[in-house]
Amino acid sequence: MRFQDAARDGRAVVYAAIQADPLVARSAELISRASLDERILARAVMNGESSDSDRWRRTFPTLFGPGSSGDREHAEAILAASLAVADRGDQVRNQVRGAIVEELTARLLARRADPATVRRERRILFDGVPAEIHPYDVTLEAAGGAEAFDCKWGARGINADVLHQLDDARSHAHDEDEALGVTLVVFDAERSCRVRLDAQTAPHAGTRLVALEQLDELATPGRPVG
Amino acid sequence: MRGTFQYAPSMDATTIGALLGAAIDAEDALAELGESIEDEWSYVNDLRQAWTDRLAEVADGPDGTRTASQPEVEAVELAIDEASLIRDPHRAIDWLSTLPQVVLLAVGVAI
Repeated sequence: MRFQDAARDGRAVVYAAIQADPLVARSAELISRASLDERILARAVMNGESSDSDRWRRTFPTLFGPGSSGDREHAEAILAASLAVADRGDQVRNQVRGAIVEELTARLLARRADPATVRRERRILFDGVPAEIHPYDVTLEAAGGAEAFDCKWGARGINADVLHQLDDARSHAHDEDEALGVTLVVFDAERSCRVRLDAQTAPHAGTRLVALEQLDELATPGRPVG
Repeated sequence: MRGTFQYAPSMDATTIGALLGAAIDAEDALAELGESIEDEWSYVNDLRQAWTDRLAEVADGPDGTRTASQPEVEAVELAIDEASLIRDPHRAIDWLSTLPQVVLLAVGVAI
């Protein structure tokens, strides 16, 4: 098993520009240090229609109400960043949101692993197996404990292609006596992810799900993979 | 019936159960819109069922009879109103999951 940079095709060049948008890094950093309530705020605002910040504050009294106990300044920063994402328009916001989930995953992983081992847009190659066309969003290329991550904004992004790609990589690694943990990271509630997964016939028993409620587990040292 | 939330005759009489009932109606409206994506018909209805079951579970439980505070009423009303602004069926499917998360958070129960 070995890792390789993805080809710099047209899609990669365009998407690299999205990934390099400072708003992606800023949002991912804020969300990486957010509470579950703040992450739900980010999801709602980035997915919403309204651009009125006061309206959103009143929609989230646990964050902005008089009795809120959290970090008001941090919640305000998440609200501002999320409104900036929503302001990009439908097509671009979809790409930005996806890039944020990838960047968020990479940042959380870098808290429990050597940041140099956290890579983006990588292929995983196995002897005698044709390479997958699509690279993995994030890989953790640590000796003896490699992992591959596919990142989704919503549960609806879970599909047969994604599940097959992850499971194929896991099983090919196993065939080579290598350990490869495979994980779906979804910026959506676990309940929605389970509904989506339950309807899938593609193999996913060996794929770990990290939903909105479990994102911090990505940063937890010693967390078992796969 | 999308966006049909109304304040109870007396704000003091609005219960968490009533708020969640309005959220269930809003989920139904989102599902109706999302169903227009034919390939996702089953997912949309499974998703609606999963979340309305959760909302109903809370509404029928001990929290359901509690009188809602003014911030809770306003938060749920605004969340439902936000959902009613959705016109794109793809976005509606995303909101089928998002709306109940926002509503449950607003009334202080786990998603």
